[in-house]
Amino acid sequence: MNGDRHERPWRSAAERDGTFVPFDPNEAMRREFLELPEALAAPSRRSFLKLAGFGALAATAACSRAPIEKAIPLLLRPEQIVPGKAYWIATTCGGCNAGCGMLARCRDGRPIKLEGSKAHPIGGGGLCATGQAQVLSLYDERRLDGPRLDGRAASWEAIDAAIAAELAAARAGAGRVRLLTGSESSPSTRAAIAKFLAGWRDGRHVEWDADSRSAALAAHAATHGVRALPRLRLDQARVIAAFDDDFLGTGVSPVEHAAARRAARDADQPERFALHVQFEARMTLTGSRADRRVKVAPWETAAALCELARLVAERSGRPLPFAALPLAGTAAALSAPLERIAGELWAARGAAVVLCGVNDLAVQKLVNLVNEQLGAYGTTLDLTAPVQQRRGDDAALLALRRELEAGAVDVLIVAGCDPAADLPDAAAFAAAAKQVPLLVACTTHDDATAALARAVLPLPHFLEAWHDQEPVAGLLTFSQPTVPALRSTRTLRRTLALWSGDARDDRELVAAAYAAEVNARGAAADAAGFERALHDGFVQFPVGGRAGTSGVVAVPRFSAAAVALPPPIAAPPASTLGLVLHRKVALLDGRHAQNPWLQELPDPVSKVVWDNYAAFAPATAKRLGIATGDVVRLAAVEGGVTVELPALVQPGQHGEVVAVALGYGRKGTERFEKLGPEWLEGRATVAPGGRVGVAAEPLLAVDGELLRGDVRAIKVTRTGRRHELACTQDHHSLTVPEHLAPAGGVTRDAVQVLSLAALVEPGAGGGHGGHGGHAAASAELWPDDHGKAGPRWGMAIDLAACTGCSACVVGCQAENNVPVVGRDEVRRHREMSWIRIDRYWQGDPEAPTAHHQPMMCQQCGHAPCETVCPVLATVHSSDGLNQQVYNRCVGTRYCANNCPYKVRRFNWFDYSRDDAHANLALNPDVTVRSRGVMEKCSFCVQRILESRLLARAEGRVLQDGDIEPACQQSCPAQAIVFGDLADPKSRVARLARADRSYAVLAELNVQPAVSYLADVRDDREARDA
Amino acid sequence: MLARNLRLLIVLGTLLCGGAMIRAGDFRTTGDHTGFAPAQPIAFSHRLHAGEMGIDCRYCHVGAEQSRHAGIPEASICMNCHATVAARRDAVVAERMAAEKAGREPRPVVSAEIAKLWRAQGLNERLERDPAITPKPIEWVRVHQLPDFVYFDHRPHVLGGVACESCHGPVQSMDRVRQFASLSMGWCIDCHRTRQVALPTAAPPGHGVPGHAPAAVLTDCATCHF
Repeated sequence: MNGDRHERPWRSAAERDGTFVPFDPNEAMRREFLELPEALAAPSRRSFLKLAGFGALAATAACSRAPIEKAIPLLLRPEQIVPGKAYWIATTCGGCNAGCGMLARCRDGRPIKLEGSKAHPIGGGGLCATGQAQVLSLYDERRLDGPRLDGRAASWEAIDAAIAAELAAARAGAGRVRLLTGSESSPSTRAAIAKFLAGWRDGRHVEWDADSRSAALAAHAATHGVRALPRLRLDQARVIAAFDDDFLGTGVSPVEHAAARRAARDADQPERFALHVQFEARMTLTGSRADRRVKVAPWETAAALCELARLVAERSGRPLPFAALPLAGTAAALSAPLERIAGELWAARGAAVVLCGVNDLAVQKLVNLVNEQLGAYGTTLDLTAPVQQRRGDDAALLALRRELEAGAVDVLIVAGCDPAADLPDAAAFAAAAKQVPLLVACTTHDDATAALARAVLPLPHFLEAWHDQEPVAGLLTFSQPTVPALRSTRTLRRTLALWSGDARDDRELVAAAYAAEVNARGAAADAAGFERALHDGFVQFPVGGRAGTSGVVAVPRFSAAAVALPPPIAAPPASTLGLVLHRKVALLDGRHAQNPWLQELPDPVSKVVWDNYAAFAPATAKRLGIATGDVVRLAAVEGGVTVELPALVQPGQHGEVVAVALGYGRKGTERFEKLGPEWLEGRATVAPGGRVGVAAEPLLAVDGELLRGDVRAIKVTRTGRRHELACTQDHHSLTVPEHLAPAGGVTRDAVQVLSLAALVEPGAGGGHGGHGGHAAASAELWPDDHGKAGPRWGMAIDLAACTGCSACVVGCQAENNVPVVGRDEVRRHREMSWIRIDRYWQGDPEAPTAHHQPMMCQQCGHAPCETVCPVLATVHSSDGLNQQVYNRCVGTRYCANNCPYKVRRFNWFDYSRDDAHANLALNPDVTVRSRGVMEKCSFCVQRILESRLLARAEGRVLQDGDIEPACQQSCPAQAIVFGDLADPKSRVARLARADRSYAVLAELNVQPAVSYLADVRDDREARDA
Repeated sequence: MLARNLRLLIVLGTLLCGGAMIRAGDFRTTGDHTGFAPAQPIAFSHRLHAGEMGIDCRYCHVGAEQSRHAGIPEASICMNCHATVAARRDAVVAERMAAEKAGREPRPVVSAEIAKLWRAQGLNERLERDPAITPKPIEWVRVHQLPDFVYFDHRPHVLGGVACESCHGPVQSMDRVRQFASLSMGWCIDCHRTRQVALPTAAPPGHGVPGHAPAAVLTDCATCHF
C-alpha cells in the first residue's frame, strides 16, 4: 500500500483503465434529462391537456380535508400486548438449516423485524441477509393457502380422508413409501417420521440437500465411523486453508463462522491472528477475504490435496501409504503455494484446519487425513458434538430416483425440498414422479415439484409455527409462532402424526420431543423446563450426555486405511472450459427466489442484482471476445445440455473455468414482471412470463453416487445477443474533485489496509503509510452554531472483521422501510439501499485482492449536504446527526450532488406499496417516504429515541451499548460499533482513537462521524519474498 | 377598460373569498382541525366518566405510559364496570318504582349506548353470549390525527409530567371529545422551546449536568421527524 508501488483500488475495469467517468459536469448536465421521452420533450396537445388535468386534480386534492380515520381497539386485549409497544419472541431462524437463534421484534401481534439472539450458541447475536429477509417471506402473498387435491382446492378433512384411503390401499399392497425431505434436524419431526414409517412394510426416509455435503458425510463415515460433519471451531484456528469452500458466504453455518473468524483474527491480539489461505476456482466471498488466494481449477483440487497430504505426512513422520498424484500441467504452479501452506499448517498443528467444499468422496477422505495429522479433530474440528445442519445423502436420492424410474414406489411424500427444480434432468424426474400412484408435495410455494403432485399440502412459515431443531448434537433450539397462522397450513410433523393416528398438535409434539431428549439424559422433564427453553429459545445439553443417533460419546477414532489415492481427473479438452456451479450468497439454493429483498441485494462479489450470469476471468473473456452483458451459450461437451446466460467479467477467477450460480429461473419468479415503477421508459424486471435468471441445474452432473457442479467441460459460444446486467459496482463512486484534492494532489484510498507485521511490531513498516486517521480538523465551518454540549453519535466499522456478507444491507432495509425498485431502476443507479458495501479490487485483475467497505451516511460534522439545501430539509441536530426532514424536502437533489460519499437516495417514484401483505412487514416507527424526497441513513434515529426514552423511564443514564442500529445488530462479525463520540470512555470513542482508525475522505474536512478501522492482512508471503 | 374590469374583479374576488372565510368563522391554516368533534358510534361521555366519576385518564388509556399510542380502551376495560352498570342510576330507580307501583318484577334497564357496547362483544341484554350476535370491535372515529411524517410518542410527555389537559384540553367537561389544540408544528414547538427536560445522557466532563442534555434536543427535527 505504500510509496512507489502503490496501486489504487478500483471497482470495475473501466475505473481501473481510467475510462470510467464518475462525474463530469457537462455529461451530468446532458444526462439530467437524458432519458426524457420524446412525447414529453415536445408535448402534443393531447398530452398537454392530460398533464394539465392531472395538475388541476392534484391542486384540488391538496385542498381537501384529511380523511377520517377509524381507531379500532381490540375487544379483549391479551395482557402482554399494548398496541404500539414492541415485544420480543425468542425463536429460531428457518431461512436455512444452520439454526441461528433469533428474536422476533413484534408489534401489535405480528413480527416486523428479526434480530439475532445474543445468548444463542449459534449466531451469537448476528443474522445473515437471508435471515433478515425472512420477515418479508412471512408476509408473502404467494404463499400457498389451503391444501389442493388433483389441482383443486380441498379441505384438510377431505384431503386427509382421500390420502388415508390411498395409504390403506398402498399398505395392503407392497407398501413402498418414500419420504423425501431436506436435512431434517428437528427431533420432533424425526420422531413423527419414524412413527409414520414404522407402519409400513417398506418405508424409507431420504434426506437430501440441494447444497450437498454428501461426500464429507460419507468420508467421515469411512474414516471415523460416524456419518456426521464435525462442528467447525474456527475461533480455535491459527491457520485456515480452505479448498473451494465458501464458508463465510454459502457454507453450512455462515453466521457462526463469521463470528468465529472475527475471534480468530482479532487485530488487538496480532500475535494470535489466524492466517487464512483460500484455494479456489471462482471468486467467492470467502476468497475475497483471504490473506492469500491461490487459483485452483476443479480438476486440480484432488492432486493439490494429495500433494498437501504428502507434504503434511512427510512432516508428521507418517508418510502416505500411496504415492501422491503428480502436479502436472498447469497444476505444477501449485507446488510452491502448497509447500508453503503445508509448512504453515504444520507449524500451527493443533490449531490448524483444512476445509474443503468439494463433493468428492476421495478428496474428502484426504482432507480428513490431513486434518487428523494436523491434530484438528478435538481442537478446530469437533466430532463429539457433530453438526446436523447438513445430513443429506446424494446416493439415497439417486437410489430413490432409480426406484421411481422403475415404478417401484407406491407413495412419495416430498417435503421442504424441490427435486423437480434442483435435479439436473428435471424432465426425467417429472416423468418418473408421474408414475407414482400417490405423490404428495408439502411446500410453501407453488414450486416445480408441487406442479407434479396429486396432493399439495402447504407448509407454514417458521415464524407462524412450532418447530424445533438440533443444529448441533446436544443443542435443541425452538421456534414458536410469532403471529397467528396467516395461511391455512400444516407442518410435516403434524401431517405425519395425524396420518399415524396421533392427534396431538405441534406444540405438544415439540414438547414431547423435548421431554424425550431430557429423559434420554437421565433427567426428568417438566413443563417449567420446557417453558424456560422456549423463553431462551434453546436448551443446551452437556456434550456426550447421551448415546444414540444424535450424540456421540467418545471421540471417534480415525482409520487411515479408508483413505486411498483419488483417481486422477483429466482437464477439460482444449477449447473448452471447466464449469463451476455454485450457490449464491443470501439466495442460497433457490428456495428464497421469491423474496425481492434478496433478489435486489447486490451479490457481495459481483454486485449484480436480479440475474445470474456466466462469470469469466478477464483474460478468458478477452480471448473469447466476450464482454459483460453478452449472452453466451454454454454447451456441455457430454450430454448435449445447453444453457444461455449473460456473461460477466469477474476479476480473480481461474482462467480455465466458467462459473454460474444455481437456484435461478425458478417457477414463481414470473411474479416480478410488474415490479418497479411503471412509466414511459420503464422496463420490466423480468420479461412477461419470464423468470429471474436462468436455471443452470441442467448442467449439474452425476459423478458416481454424488451430484456435482464442477466436473463438466463446457464449450462457450457467443449468441450475438445482449442482456444488460443490473450491476451496482460503478454506482455511487467516492471521488474527490481535482480542485479539492490536497496539496500533494494525491487523495487517500477509501480502503486502508495494514500488514499484520505492522501490528505485531509497529516499527516494521508494512504500509500504514499516510493513512493519517487523526488528520487535524483545523478549519471550523460552524464555530458558534452547531452545539457541542450533548452527545455526538458516531460509528466505528472494523474492516478487518467485515466479511462483506451484506447482512447489514438487508437488516437496514427491514428496519428503515427501504423499498425494492426493480431491475430497471437499479440499472439507472436508482437503488434505494441506505447502506451499501463498496467492493474494491486492487492489483492485477487476474489475481486481485478484494476489499469490502460498508458505506452509509457519515453524519458529517461539516456536512456538505446541509449547506446546499435551499429549504433546510437537511440540518444538523444537537447530538451530531445529519437529519433529513422528508416533509420539508422539495427534491432539488442538490444535497446528493454535494455529498462526497454518495449515500443519499432520491425517491424517483412512489415505489410500489400496493402489496398489502408485504406492507405488514413495514416498521411503523419509520416514515414511508413518498415520491420526490431525498432519504438516507439516519443512524436509526428511531432506535436512539427509543433507547433514550427507555433509559429515562427506568430512571437511569443511557449506557454505552444501549443503542444498536439495525446494521450493527445484524452484523455476524460485530464489525460495527455505535455510540457517543463525546464520551471518551465509550467503545466507539476508543475505537475512533485506535491506531487503525481513519476517516474516509478526511482530507475534505467534512468531519465524518464514522471511523473505519483499517483492514488487516497477513502478508507474510509477500514479505518473505 | 380591460384594466378597470380586472381591478374590479380582483377586489370583488378578494371580498368574496374573505367574506366566505369570515362567515364560516373558520379561518385556519391547512391541516388545522381544532374543534373537530365527530359523532362516535357510542355516545360515550368523557364528562361523565372523567369529570363526574373522576376516573383517571390512564385507567382506560393504558398505553400512555407504555406505548407511543395512549390507545383507545378495549371493550374488556369498559366491562370492568359495565358488567354491572347497565344504565344511569335514575333510570334504574325509576323502573324499580314503576314496577313496585304496578306490582311486577322490575325489568332490566339497559341504556341504548351500553347495549351497543355489549352487542359489540356478542352479548345480549341479559349479558349472555348470543350466537346471533357476531362480536365486532367498535369503530371509533379518530379525533387527534397527525400526518404520517410526524412521530408523536405519548411516553416522554406523560413521563415528563405533561398533563393530559395541556394538549387534550378540558376533556373532563366534554360530552363529545373535540380537538382542543391545533396540533400544528408551531404549537408543539412553542412548548418544546421553553421546557427543560432531563435526558438520560451521560454528559461528558465540562458539558453541563450529568444525566442532562440541553433542551436543544427537543427542537431537533429528528425528535419528531424520521
